[in-house]
Amino acid sequence: MTLKRTLTLGVASFTLMAGAAFANCPAVTVADPMGVPPGAFPQQYELSEFQSAANCTLAFAENPAIAELNGRIKGNPDLPPLAERLPEEPLVVAPYDAIGTYGGTLHALSNAPEAGTSDFLSVRHVNLVRYSDDLQTIVPNVAKGWEWNDDYTELTFFLRKGHKWSDGAPFTAADVKFWYDNLALDPNINEKPKDYVTVAGQPMTVETPDETTVVFKLPAPKPGLLTHFATHFGQGFQPKHFLGQFHPAISADADAYAQSLGFDNGYAAIMAYYGNSDWTDTGTPMLNRPDSLDVLPKNAMPTLESHFIISETTEGRRFVANPYFFMVDTAGNQLPYINELDELFANDQEVRLLKLVNGEADYKTQSLQIADAPLLLDGQEKGDYTIQLKPKISMHTVSFNVTSEDEGKRAVFGDLRFRKAMSVAINRQELNDVAYFGLGQIQQYIGFSPAPEFVDPKWLTYATEYDPEGAKAMLDEVGVVDANGDGFRDLPDGRPLVLNLQFATQGIAGQVVELIGQYWKDVGINTTVKEVTPDEYRSAQSSNQLDVGLWEKGQPLGIILGNNELWVPPFENYFAHRVGMKWAEWVDSNGSAGIEPPDYVKSLIADINAFQSTPSGTPEFNEIGARLVQNMTENLLFIGTAITPDPIYRRNAVKNFPEFKTASYEYYRTYPYRAHQWFLSE
Amino acid sequence: MQFLQFALTRAFMALVTLLTVSLIVFTLMELVPGSCAERYLAFKNTQGSQITIEDIEAEERRLGLDRPFVERWVGWVGNVFIRGEFGDSCILRLDINQLLADKFWISLGICMAALILSYAIAVPIGIISAKSTNAWTNNSLRLVSYLGLALPNFLLALIIMLFSTVMFGDSLTGLFSNEYRDAPWSWEKFQDFLSRAWLPIFILGWSATAFALQTVRALMLDEIGKLYVTAAAARGVTGARLLWRYPARHALGPVINSLGFDLNRIFNELPIVALILTLTEAGALLFESLARSNDQQLAGAIIFLLTASIVLLNFVTDILLAVLDPRVRRGLMG
Repeated sequence: MTLKRTLTLGVASFTLMAGAAFANCPAVTVADPMGVPPGAFPQQYELSEFQSAANCTLAFAENPAIAELNGRIKGNPDLPPLAERLPEEPLVVAPYDAIGTYGGTLHALSNAPEAGTSDFLSVRHVNLVRYSDDLQTIVPNVAKGWEWNDDYTELTFFLRKGHKWSDGAPFTAADVKFWYDNLALDPNINEKPKDYVTVAGQPMTVETPDETTVVFKLPAPKPGLLTHFATHFGQGFQPKHFLGQFHPAISADADAYAQSLGFDNGYAAIMAYYGNSDWTDTGTPMLNRPDSLDVLPKNAMPTLESHFIISETTEGRRFVANPYFFMVDTAGNQLPYINELDELFANDQEVRLLKLVNGEADYKTQSLQIADAPLLLDGQEKGDYTIQLKPKISMHTVSFNVTSEDEGKRAVFGDLRFRKAMSVAINRQELNDVAYFGLGQIQQYIGFSPAPEFVDPKWLTYATEYDPEGAKAMLDEVGVVDANGDGFRDLPDGRPLVLNLQFATQGIAGQVVELIGQYWKDVGINTTVKEVTPDEYRSAQSSNQLDVGLWEKGQPLGIILGNNELWVPPFENYFAHRVGMKWAEWVDSNGSAGIEPPDYVKSLIADINAFQSTPSGTPEFNEIGARLVQNMTENLLFIGTAITPDPIYRRNAVKNFPEFKTASYEYYRTYPYRAHQWFLSE
Repeated sequence: MQFLQFALTRAFMALVTLLTVSLIVFTLMELVPGSCAERYLAFKNTQGSQITIEDIEAEERRLGLDRPFVERWVGWVGNVFIRGEFGDSCILRLDINQLLADKFWISLGICMAALILSYAIAVPIGIISAKSTNAWTNNSLRLVSYLGLALPNFLLALIIMLFSTVMFGDSLTGLFSNEYRDAPWSWEKFQDFLSRAWLPIFILGWSATAFALQTVRALMLDEIGKLYVTAAAARGVTGARLLWRYPARHALGPVINSLGFDLNRIFNELPIVALILTLTEAGALLFESLARSNDQQLAGAIIFLLTASIVLLNFVTDILLAVLDPRVRRGLMG
């Protein structure tokens, strides 16, 4: 091992002098494998695996601008040689079409600092594992391997020896344990552990037998835990050497040190850097403490991602390539190829479209809707970009606030007949023709998307027929009739009922909301339509101020096995479509506050926990799955419309960019398609 | 002495106006549904917190929302006047002073530039055109000013953007090019800013010019036929000297008086133009906070700053007029 390493180092330094052209391994790409057999996982190799498959020794080369980029990272020391920055076993990735060239800036558009950013977050994202672009195979990423025990109660990850954070400090198993024990489970940081870090409501334990081995011990089986790490934004590691300085459980003088930097205490410092959330776009001190940057040791906490943030304002963010990134291409070039990332915030959908048509961004999928497709397709040639139309996983859904603060509304919205009336009042065929250009597949919301085998097909079309007369009859039954003779139906207590349809284009298309509003007016329910920012929509939704929820929804089976949030009130996280905030309060407080949910909701909660612990494909698994679907669909907590394709935008200068399988968030957007090996060629 | 007394009285009245405005702004902020406490807790909910009614009440106490209305207003005004602090935006959870930073000054700069531009054009041209008998000049001036008045600003902005996108492939949006976006202010950044800011200044300036031009012209026409002008002409005063020293001096009084009003009008038009041109300044922020994100604190701060600028400008023009015209001083003091 030592011999091989010395040899590699020698060859590396020779190659640096001679230029990368003399690397003696074949430059394998996905398009042209050059006769090298595939490794254990598609499109990538471990170093030793590649060297033996290609019968060569890989020599490493670096971005010529890397020292200059490193100089722009505050607090980073001067760079050691490349061989000391790469892990002993870097991940060797096969680029899709060609070995890339270094340089350039990738331009991205998001809505606001914490809105519409996931698309761009995914470009630099890494996690322990990843879904390959077939969306079926889980492959190594930060971890070079993993192992389950037989009953899925023990998951072991093997890390890369010599892997380093973006500031050069070693990344070890202790960083995984720190994330789990001291951030995810610390009530000072997360008051209540997130569902994804627990198993059947119980915490796991994390053991670190050595520096590169991490063992998650689960209180019950949860095969979906691995999927979680492959699809979730939450990274299963955080920099202990940095955040630990501020954590009272790690460092005795955490508070004193934090106070010397101007924070109230250590936890306040962790809040400023980590945002107390695994969500990776929470503000850095550059945004939340711009006045004290001079005294702070770093402007942002170290990362393992491909790029590191160097500036942040309410108008945009900038990143430079991480000089310690752990991947190389098959020619030995350290990734990423792209020097800088530039993210601009534009909260207006039309403005974003204008910029896209003008070729002012390099890649975008999030917030683009099928309704934008004609305009985008039309401008392809002139703007020098390409549009792919790919199916989505989630679909536009509507919900009624069944735990409204207004008791009159709560009674009406809580009545299944009302929700069913509103579902059949929607003319989905026309909606599909007008808003989705006939490309949609009409469907009811069943939770799972696409529908697994255990789903009875009848649920896919449940209450999706257009029946305005039936809707009117059901509304009459509920007592929602026109009492004051103004042509619109009123609440049973006589007060007028006006549904205020607040939406954000990030969650649903404006045309869809306009049409739905009109269909409901046609059966006598008055509506108004208003576009708001995603921040405002989310805030109003979670503070229980919306009558009607409007956002896309739906997850694949693999993700549901690792994350129960779609099935437990409020049925998803802050950023997505929620309903039943008061039920959630009841569940979280064990019944001491909020509103007690009906039996079918309690059954959903019990079933999802059992479902996650049951071996998939067994009759029991299928039975629980079918019950979940029935309870979710039959009760119409979320009313579906149609599964549609959405546009994916790529400027033609972005190379090594494959055909995406879906235009969706669920596999964490670009993560399966390896943005780290994109490069720019004008 | 008399002048000092006048200035002090005016300053005091300006302060009273500002306080009244702050009361109105604060009341409007309160009318928006959903308190800051609820918004903040909705966010904390993302951190996995359980939020109960007690939590909301505790948060309201922490933010001081449980205190009586007048007390809260005094607190807000006190912070603004004494410390110059507007507190936190409850949607973005960021310090408003930091959020606004140069943005308000950029907006004010754009508006003032448009204002100065429009007066620099309107005053001389208005005076000359009132005197001019050349039908061609008069008609073309009229056409330009009617276009300025009749073309909605947003439409003008869209037309120019569309033209530029089709012709030059540049949508002319934004205030800075990418490399200067987060750079500290420098001469280069200022030049970069000017290379883009001319468009909103031009758009806002056009309609303002049209408006001012018609006002100056009408006032001049009123004055120009008056007896004292004829008398002056009879004494042998002619040409520009006659125009500037007699009718123009009288005609311009009301024009100077309307500076504050015009600034307000220009600022009113700014948000729409800013939104279309994606200018990252206070006007666009005001529109977004009012219409889209329901951010009362932020909107309140911007509206207050704007009114303060108008009140200040009015104060300055009052003083200016008083310096120019002793009758104004006497008029106020009785």
